[in-house]
This record gives sequence, structure tokens and C-alpha cells, in this order.
Amino acid sequence: MADSAFHFAAFSFVDRITEFVPGQRARGVYAVPADIAAFPACLVAEAVGQLAAWVSMEAVAFRGRPVAALAGETRFLAPVAPGDTLTLAADIEHCDDEAVSYAGWAEVRGGRVIELVDCFGPLLPVAEFDAPEALAARLAMLRGPGASPGRFGGIAAFATASGAADATSRSATIEVPQAAPFFADHFPRRPVFPATLLLDAAIGQALALAAALPGWPQGAAPQVTRMTRVKVRSFTPPGARIEFAARLQDRTADGATIALEARGEDLKVVATARVDVAAGDNRR
Amino acid sequence: MATAITQDEISAVFPTVADMIADALGCDLAEVKPDASLIEDLGAESIDFLDMVFRLERAFKVKIPRGKIVENARGTLSEGEFEQNGVITEAGMTQLKAYLSEVPDARFKTPMKVKEIPRLFTPETFCKLVISAQRETKAAG
Repeated sequence: MADSAFHFAAFSFVDRITEFVPGQRARGVYAVPADIAAFPACLVAEAVGQLAAWVSMEAVAFRGRPVAALAGETRFLAPVAPGDTLTLAADIEHCDDEAVSYAGWAEVRGGRVIELVDCFGPLLPVAEFDAPEALAARLAMLRGPGASPGRFGGIAAFATASGAADATSRSATIEVPQAAPFFADHFPRRPVFPATLLLDAAIGQALALAAALPGWPQGAAPQVTRMTRVKVRSFTPPGARIEFAARLQDRTADGATIALEARGEDLKVVATARVDVAAGDNRR
Repeated sequence: MATAITQDEISAVFPTVADMIADALGCDLAEVKPDASLIEDLGAESIDFLDMVFRLERAFKVKIPRGKIVENARGTLSEGEFEQNGVITEAGMTQLKAYLSEVPDARFKTPMKVKEIPRLFTPETFCKLVISAQRETKAAG
């Protein structure tokens, strides 16, 4: 049974909705707790996706909730640090009982930190994941006084084992924990390893591969600037073992493109994506 | 009654459709033959169908509602005439074979369930889907 203390806390990244146009768009804010170690860019994308999810769930009267499936392009424009406050935007392109498509962005102090384009998620029966009435009440609170900030406690590192590596590829395996606070929030009735955490782990492999490539300017580390063609094929349950493969696709004078793939123990592909990396400041 | 889709219309959209399919499935463009089975030959899964439709909507600036292929395939038949308890009727099968004319006869099962229809889909099926959507967009002005 999910621990209710973590519901709407351990993996919820919208504190307040400041503008809400039903079925069309929302704007909101999220204060990244100052006392956590880091807030990876994938969680910024998660925050934008969650804002879009609120609009889409309300649009279908909480019959369905979107799940991560496709993200055409995510641009990582600047890092987000603990203590920052995100201004979030989600613009719904289409939403019905079957699927939602949307774009969105996040800003910190007026500067764009992430942009999401061509995102698409099928809507699944909401009652499989959470209590519809609890979600409706939560949305009312977010649209009203807002939630108490600072309830996110960070994400503990996952057990990771490095696999084969050569000049153009590398692999690693992560053990998804059987239990973690975020499972109580994602989702109370059906724990699922968040796709954004899966992608964050995959990005870690891409960065490790990129860092081993020769030719970066002295003192500059490769950073992810863009993630494209994200396709999440299936849910990852608690306790799963996921093998990641990162493969160099293209290398230019100032960057590289790396294909990412995550497979479950049955060797079925769970998720795929591509990332562009370039020398620069810490954008991940 | 809608005008039948011509081979010229299909040829006009096929290159873009094939590109989208190859991109969505991560396969070689050369593998995307008009009559290849997307599931059996190219390994497509349900998420890939969503991906392909999403990409085609953007590439052709049309709206393709989910379930549109089956709706198009049903043609003028009512739902009850097309299927009974999830199984395609004889009249439905005749209609389906006419709509999916590019699919070899041997791929149609008898009896066949409605939920098995996606196993028949080919790149040409998606060309027809795009052309129908283009016609509807044009008709809507």
C-alpha cells in the first residue's frame, strides 16, 4: 500500500497553478527545495509534463490521465539549482479521452531553462493509478492557495553497474528499487518507475560516453543540450533491472549525437531517445 | 460516396509516409515497402502506431483521430454490419479487403477479430489514412 505521506509530495513538481484555461493551457510555479543535492533537468521536464497532465485530466473530467510516451524534442537551455523557483508553462495542442499532445517550457528568474516540443501521451483510465476525487481536490488546491512547497526530498542514487564500453558505445545496468518514496506518488494505486528518471539515468550513460571522446576543448565537459525522439514503450515496475546502452551516432567538431536505449530483463526495449551533447556549462 | 483513392495519390504521399515510418520504427527506408506488414515485417508496436500518426499529423498538417483506419475501412457499413461481438462479419470482411487492397489475401484470418485489424496495416494503409484526412481537411475548408 502506498504511503499517503508521500502522495503529492515525493514526485509532484507543481506547487501552484497561476493561470488555467481549461483544455488549453496552464501556467504554474514550483519551488525547488533548497536542501536537496540536485534537481536534474529531466525533473524540470517532469514538472512541465505534470502541469500539462493537470490540464488534460481536467479536460476529460478525470476519466483519464496521460502517461509519458513520446517527446519530439526537449531543449536543455540552462541548469536549475536547488532553491530556484520554476515558472512553468504547458500549452495543450489537442486533448481527448485517448491522448494529449502539448508543448511547454520552464523559466527561472525570467530565463528559459527548458523547452518541450511535440510531446504526446496516451490517456489511460485514471482510476488505475490514483483516486480521481483526490486528483480533482488536488487540482482545486493548486488553482487556489497552492500546495506547501519544499516537500520533495530528492531522489536517492540507484544501484548501477557498468557494463561493456569502447570508444563509441557503453552500457550499464541499474536496479530500480523495490521501494522508494516516489512510488507512493507515481502512482498510489500502481507504482511505476518515472520515465523521466529512466531518461535521466540514460543521459548519465550518454555523458559518460561523451566524456571519453577525444577533442573537447580543454577544461570543458560535454553537456546535454537537446534530447529528441523520446519514445517510452512500456512501464517499468519497482524492482526492475534496466540495461542502458549508449551508442555514438555522430561526432562533429563541437558536439556529438548519442542514441540511447533502455531494455528490461526480458530484453524488450523499454525506452529510446537521442541526445545531443556539446562542450559547455552544466545543463543537465 | 467518397471517391476511391488512386494510385497516383498514394504515390504522391508515399515518400513522406515511408520516411516517417522508417524514422518512427528505426528501420531502413528500403525496408518500408508499400505492402510490408508494419507489425509482422517491421516490428511495430502500439506505441509506434501512435508515434506514426503523431508524426503524420505534423508532416501533413491534418488531424487523424485514433481509430480512424478502422472507421475508414468500415466505409458505409454500420458498426453492427461490420462486426458482431468483436468479430468481423462476412460483409465487413469484404469491405475490409476492398479498403486494404494492398494486403495479400493470405494475411486475412477467418474469422477475424476487430482488434486484429492492426496486424494487417501497411505503409500504404497509412498513405490512405493521410489522403482521407487531407480530403476531409480540404472539404472542411
